[in-house]
Amino acid sequence: MKFKNTLYNLFLVLIMVAFASCKDLTELNVSPNAVDPTTVNPNFEVPTVITATALPYLDFNYEGGMAGVMSYIQKSGWGTDLNNFSGDWIAGRTWGGYYGNLRNIYHLYDRSKAEKMEFHQGVALVLKAFNFGFITDAWGDAPYSAAVNAGAGGQGDLFPVFDSQEDIYKGIIADLKVANTLLSKPVESYSQISNSADVLYGGSPSKWRKMANSLLLRYYMRISTKSPVIAKAGIEEIISNSATFPIFTANEDDATMGYIGSTSSDSWPANTAQDQSHSNFDRMQLCAGFRDVLVDLKDPRIAVWFNKVNLRVKISNQFAPVGETITGGVTGGVRYLTPAYAAAKKYVVYNKSTWSADVDAGKTLIDTMEYVGMPLAYLAGEPYTYNLNPNPVQGGSNASVSALADIYKSANGSLLKARLISYAEVCFIIAEAAQKGYSVGTQQSWYEKGVQASLNTWGVGGNYAAYIANTGVAYDGSLKQIMVQKWIANWTVAFESWCDWRRTGLPALSFGTHGIRNAMPIRFKYDPSEININGVNAQVAIGKLVETAFTAQDGKDSSWSKMWLLQGSNIPY
Amino acid sequence: MCILVLFVNSVMAQNSITGTVTDDTGSPLPGASVVVKGTTQGVITDANGKFNLSVPANARLVISFVGMKNYEVAVGTNKTINVQLTTSAVGVEEVVVTALGISREKKSLGYAVSEVKGETMQAVAQSNVLNSLAGKVSGVQISSTGAAGSSMTMVIRGASSLTSDNQPLFVVDGVPMNNTLNNVSQIGNDNRVDYGNAIADLNADDIASLSVLKGPSAAALYGSRAGNGVVLITTKTGKKKKGLGITITSNTVIETPYKYLAMDNGMAYGKRPYTQDNRPSNGLDYMLINPSEAAWGGPQLDKGIMAYQWPYYNANGVLTATPLISHPNNAKEFFQTGYTTTNNIEIGDATDRVDYRLSFDNMENKGVIPNSDLHKNSIALNSTVKLNAKLKVSTSINFTSSGAKNRPAGNRGTNPMQAFYEKNTSVDMLELKNYWEPGKVGILQHSPYTLNDATTGARGGMANNPFFLANEVNNGFLRDRLYGNVRLDYQILPDLTFFARYALDTFHEFRDTKISKSYTGEPNGLYGLVNMYRREHNTDFLFTYTKKTTNFNISVSAGGNEMYQYAENSSITGKNGGSGLILPGIFNVGNMAPSNILVGSGLSQKGIYSLYALGSIGYKDYVYLDLTARNDWSSTLPKESRSYFYPSASLSLLLNRMFDFGTNVSLVKLRGGIAQVGNDTNPYSLMPSMGSAGPWGDQTQLTTSGSLLLASLKPEIKTSKEIGADLGLFDNRLKLEGTYYSSENKNQILGISLPPSSGSSSKQINAGLISSKGIELSIGGTPIRSKDLNWDINFIYSRNRTKIESLAPGFSHIDIWSDAKGGASTWVGEEIGNIIDTQYLRVTDKTSPYYGWPLLDGDGWDQSDNTKEKDGKRVAPVIGNFNPDFTVGIQTSVTYKNWTLSASLDWRKGGQFVSQTLRYGESDFHGERIGNLMIKVPQGVDMPTWLKAHADLFNQNGTNYPVVGGETQAQGGLQYEEGGVTLNDGAFIPGVSGSYDAGGKFVLDQELLSQPMDRASDLYGWSYTKTALFDSDYIKLRDISISYKLPSLKSIGIQNASIAIYSRNVILWTKAKIGIDPEMAFQQESGGATGPGGSQFKQGIERFNVTPWSIPMGIKLNVSF
Repeated sequence: MKFKNTLYNLFLVLIMVAFASCKDLTELNVSPNAVDPTTVNPNFEVPTVITATALPYLDFNYEGGMAGVMSYIQKSGWGTDLNNFSGDWIAGRTWGGYYGNLRNIYHLYDRSKAEKMEFHQGVALVLKAFNFGFITDAWGDAPYSAAVNAGAGGQGDLFPVFDSQEDIYKGIIADLKVANTLLSKPVESYSQISNSADVLYGGSPSKWRKMANSLLLRYYMRISTKSPVIAKAGIEEIISNSATFPIFTANEDDATMGYIGSTSSDSWPANTAQDQSHSNFDRMQLCAGFRDVLVDLKDPRIAVWFNKVNLRVKISNQFAPVGETITGGVTGGVRYLTPAYAAAKKYVVYNKSTWSADVDAGKTLIDTMEYVGMPLAYLAGEPYTYNLNPNPVQGGSNASVSALADIYKSANGSLLKARLISYAEVCFIIAEAAQKGYSVGTQQSWYEKGVQASLNTWGVGGNYAAYIANTGVAYDGSLKQIMVQKWIANWTVAFESWCDWRRTGLPALSFGTHGIRNAMPIRFKYDPSEININGVNAQVAIGKLVETAFTAQDGKDSSWSKMWLLQGSNIPY
Repeated sequence: MCILVLFVNSVMAQNSITGTVTDDTGSPLPGASVVVKGTTQGVITDANGKFNLSVPANARLVISFVGMKNYEVAVGTNKTINVQLTTSAVGVEEVVVTALGISREKKSLGYAVSEVKGETMQAVAQSNVLNSLAGKVSGVQISSTGAAGSSMTMVIRGASSLTSDNQPLFVVDGVPMNNTLNNVSQIGNDNRVDYGNAIADLNADDIASLSVLKGPSAAALYGSRAGNGVVLITTKTGKKKKGLGITITSNTVIETPYKYLAMDNGMAYGKRPYTQDNRPSNGLDYMLINPSEAAWGGPQLDKGIMAYQWPYYNANGVLTATPLISHPNNAKEFFQTGYTTTNNIEIGDATDRVDYRLSFDNMENKGVIPNSDLHKNSIALNSTVKLNAKLKVSTSINFTSSGAKNRPAGNRGTNPMQAFYEKNTSVDMLELKNYWEPGKVGILQHSPYTLNDATTGARGGMANNPFFLANEVNNGFLRDRLYGNVRLDYQILPDLTFFARYALDTFHEFRDTKISKSYTGEPNGLYGLVNMYRREHNTDFLFTYTKKTTNFNISVSAGGNEMYQYAENSSITGKNGGSGLILPGIFNVGNMAPSNILVGSGLSQKGIYSLYALGSIGYKDYVYLDLTARNDWSSTLPKESRSYFYPSASLSLLLNRMFDFGTNVSLVKLRGGIAQVGNDTNPYSLMPSMGSAGPWGDQTQLTTSGSLLLASLKPEIKTSKEIGADLGLFDNRLKLEGTYYSSENKNQILGISLPPSSGSSSKQINAGLISSKGIELSIGGTPIRSKDLNWDINFIYSRNRTKIESLAPGFSHIDIWSDAKGGASTWVGEEIGNIIDTQYLRVTDKTSPYYGWPLLDGDGWDQSDNTKEKDGKRVAPVIGNFNPDFTVGIQTSVTYKNWTLSASLDWRKGGQFVSQTLRYGESDFHGERIGNLMIKVPQGVDMPTWLKAHADLFNQNGTNYPVVGGETQAQGGLQYEEGGVTLNDGAFIPGVSGSYDAGGKFVLDQELLSQPMDRASDLYGWSYTKTALFDSDYIKLRDISISYKLPSLKSIGIQNASIAIYSRNVILWTKAKIGIDPEMAFQQESGGATGPGGSQFKQGIERFNVTPWSIPMGIKLNVSF
């Protein structure tokens, strides 16, 4: 029995040991995995906020609704946002991504302020201004002063009020000016700059400073109709004080971010290296509006951006009397239609002035040019059938419309960059300012600098002399020319073109009658989840929107309603 | 009564009686009590079931044993009395295992407990023991989320927590088992794999009994994790056996698929029903059929139409047109016959001092999807050693090794069923069986692709070959699990006992994924592996004092528990969409570029310390009162609220003991209870931390969390009340049990959505009140009981409703999931499970003759509004609820001599689910159903007039997205011209366009009642959830078995032998009649289950979770030597 007692005692001891070895419960709940946000080195957040700013901006401008509305591209399938102003324009566009990025930007600012890292504070302010600029440009009034503060926990933090668009622009300008000061020191006087973490400028305070001031130009010009005094004074101050307000002076200053190209999340969007189906790439096709201008101006950039059509259409009796003949196959071939056959089939050759009426008259459009573009808001038939596509596939390619150039199939490349703001844009802003009569220099020289900068950007700078002499390019003193060249230069920055078009009505884009409304949208309908959760505050902002002839049953919160910036003007409508 | 006196030997009157007590299998029953009635004189049977007792003349003996029916016999002149006791399946003296493993007479309990015997669970081979519980326990809903090996969900009395996965706590011989529903993970793009619950590691053949403790009353002693109920499993122990004590069981079931989704509509890929002559001009003499065209509105099949179709080229590489024909047997070519076979051998015996049971179990499963499998080997040892009369040491050790070479993925992406059902029947599965392109093994799958250029052979997009996905995307796992306990029992004093126990549950799971090159989501292939380690130990002790007096029966226990959990994960995987494998077919980390490798790791710990006590007092077998109290200290809560206390009380009144209801009434019991249970949260839920936003090149990107945490969390407290009555009539041949319960779950720890502009997506709150109410009924009986024939039948009924009573200020609703244009969202005051939809705009002016008509835009398209709420009130329409109105289960068993027929039937009434499989398929016109749903206007009538007269078909009373037309003339299609071609596939939405004036009056622009506006195949109500919403009602004959017990074979050393054949789901009726099992309406998602819902499975919606229905045929052999 003694053995059993020993065993029993041993067991009791074991249990005691087990209980005695109880760990401290507070210590158990300290996470060994994660980084504490109160002590994190701000450099770990720098690439986060840059990429989260640049990636969605490029996506939207390159393959998103904006690229379609501004007539750069159309999609041969599933292109509702791009082709006919439906999709998000009707349903409301989400803005959580921008505010989520701002949460990190605010945190970066607070952490770097605590660590007295002024470079990082400056970067945070530039990106804050850029993102709020996007938000207010796109939606109008928006939560600003009380936004991105949920952590504070008050009802006003959880359900932020909407600030007026006017106040938001003022705040953006103020932030950029503070950034200009924070970034004004020589690089060696900043602490803890990580060159590799700054995936935009490699840790250069002076370049960030130039970006801040270039953005100031952008936003001053944005409000130049509504607040002409502020805009004029602001732009003139910058141009006349280049030491205090350095701006972009060359293409090397451009705020552009390259891609890594290793996975779909760090690669050029819709590339074919990571998408075996090519489906996203194949759906993107040249828009007729862009093609018309590029071809008219004999613009060398068209060949950089787009491929000639695979299957060209020609009206010819070459193979008469056969009505229709394809030679050379669908890739690199030609489709010959006899004039009689085309007439019998009610085919009509695309004409930039009459195509919309032709469509409405029940004609089928064909396009006989080398570069074929799909017209905007053309939906007589599915877009993938356009120009007699022999192989119509929902979500597939349309061999009868120009595809994007092969460089865009790559996951990365020297021309594949997310462009936030460029020297070319700055030149065109100053040209427009000059055109308005601001004392900033001559409009022609800034116009020509802008054109040259853009040609250089796309590797066709050698064509400058010839190009600038072309009819329609050679400067005639008009605002229209500045805005057309700015629009061309803003390929893959469609959002900026849209803001310019809303303000100036330029370029005058042609669209058909099959858009969901008979006008291009001028803002985004608010994020449905904001309305669902923060409805009380959202309704106040919605009440301040002004309906137009195209808001239809949307009511005030429509993509065709006028925000403060556009109210009181008959441009664009 | 279920007692058979086998043999009563009449001799002359004696004082000494001997005999043997056996159980219902004829095995000797040691430890049975033999007492002279009305005295304390009695003995306990020995290890061989024998007893020897001196009795006065004319004595009556009462023979009893826990879990068996008592038997009373007059001694009379007998000298030997042999008694066979039978299990008290429906007896008053039913004994059930309750909290902390304490066996209690069911009559003394003030709360509902259901017990299922091991035999019931062993009759039919299952890959997961939970399968065998479905439809057998009232108040419990068990569903499989997919095919064999998938996670099983078990929800007791409705899902009352919005943050946990609502799974009950499983306790096996005192060992709490790690069992979560969140077993979905993915390596590679769109490769969501459910690796199945860990409870599947349990071996059904080892289970002696299983108790379901439903409410917190029953579970109050198990602490936090018992808030959703407890499933207590007791495994078999060694018993005194005749013969060698070896039992062999072999159980095999073969599943032959017979019913597949009806996806064929008789047309090939393509947008319009082109005929031989009407085809797009492509420079070819025949049309080109494009397999990446999702829509199936192309040329008709089996009409002799020739086309260039994949694989395009003949054996000599020449582009060749072939006739468009359907392949109706494609499903049979793809799916295969599956099987599950389970073999078990056990040895066990018992002596006075030692008992033991050792079992080995092997399970092999092959799924109906090619190359899917599951296997499990387990060894279990149970043993008890009585060291002396007071001291007992017992242990139970289980080792299970389970795994699979490949678990097929669900949802979209690598799911072979998606690839299969997206193939038009013009594609021949036989062509796909060799799934590599010739000469490109390991590099390019042989699968339909778009021929962009017939001249150059240039390829466009490619679809996945289902055989390729099944065979070349391998998601394997291997899990070694060890669980068990060591326990010491000590009888300190006659009335005072003590036990201490150390219980451990630990497993190591290794998952690896091998994706060959050319899967469209990972064109370069991918390899990845994940290592998971889990460990939980519990150390507990309990003192129990029991005292019986004439009138009182008192038991008091007190004890404590220390729980510690440790979890660790590490992973090495190729990047999604990355450069993939360097050499094809070699799955090794070294075969990937270093820049393409992602690594990760994490660990977490949690501890809970507890003290608890329970007391039970019974008075004269009239009244039983139970009280419990428990206090927990959890590491996951802040120090100030870490400690939480919760009590319970329950009462049982045996009215039949107090009053005389006559001889026909055996039991009248009223019971009631009230209980609380507290709940904590996950580790590290108090302080925010930075997460990775994925690398950018070689830069680490950190991000703050969009989910705000609450540093001052308080525990959730769930309070539940239940009352019930049990009735036993006619010698317990008719039994009724009913329970009504209600529970209130307050201080829910849940993430609530914030406006995006606040910068955060959700905030953890500690508020709200969720209430549940429900009814459980069971009626059971034995209509026929005779020597040779016995018939038992049992009905159960369950009904539950769960409502959100309140949330935090400013918050109006909870989104459980959003998908398919709607979602499962519940507003305050409404029921959990509600499915909401985008609103279809109709004329709302009640004074208008067009009231309720679709309000179309100028082009004739429907208009929708996705606003969910206005001013805090829901405006989105509720179109259904994923929970049932009620469920009914029926079990029956008929025994005739050696034959037994058992069956179990299950009926679900009410509830809805969303089928995304049909949503995708029908929007592309797969299958005839969608065409048949369109409104058909009879030939020769004036269409507007007819439609106006039948406005109920499309106004607010119409049930579906209304469309007039069809894909062919026979189907009601209208003449429609497009691209210079006129065909009979036109359709339109009947309705009006117009606007409202300032007074809200509808002003008509025009009636749209005749003009086809598009091809029928383009007119699908994609914007509305309702278009793909179906009723979930079903009736299932879950299992049916016939067994035969062989006559005695003792002469050849066989003690017992039986054979059974069985089947499952022989009858499967669904109200929706779409060939989808509504029970499988679970859509698996990868990633953490953080938001409301707490589960990786979206309930009430499925996406390609459409395993074919099969008729399993099983056979079970059981032999003991």
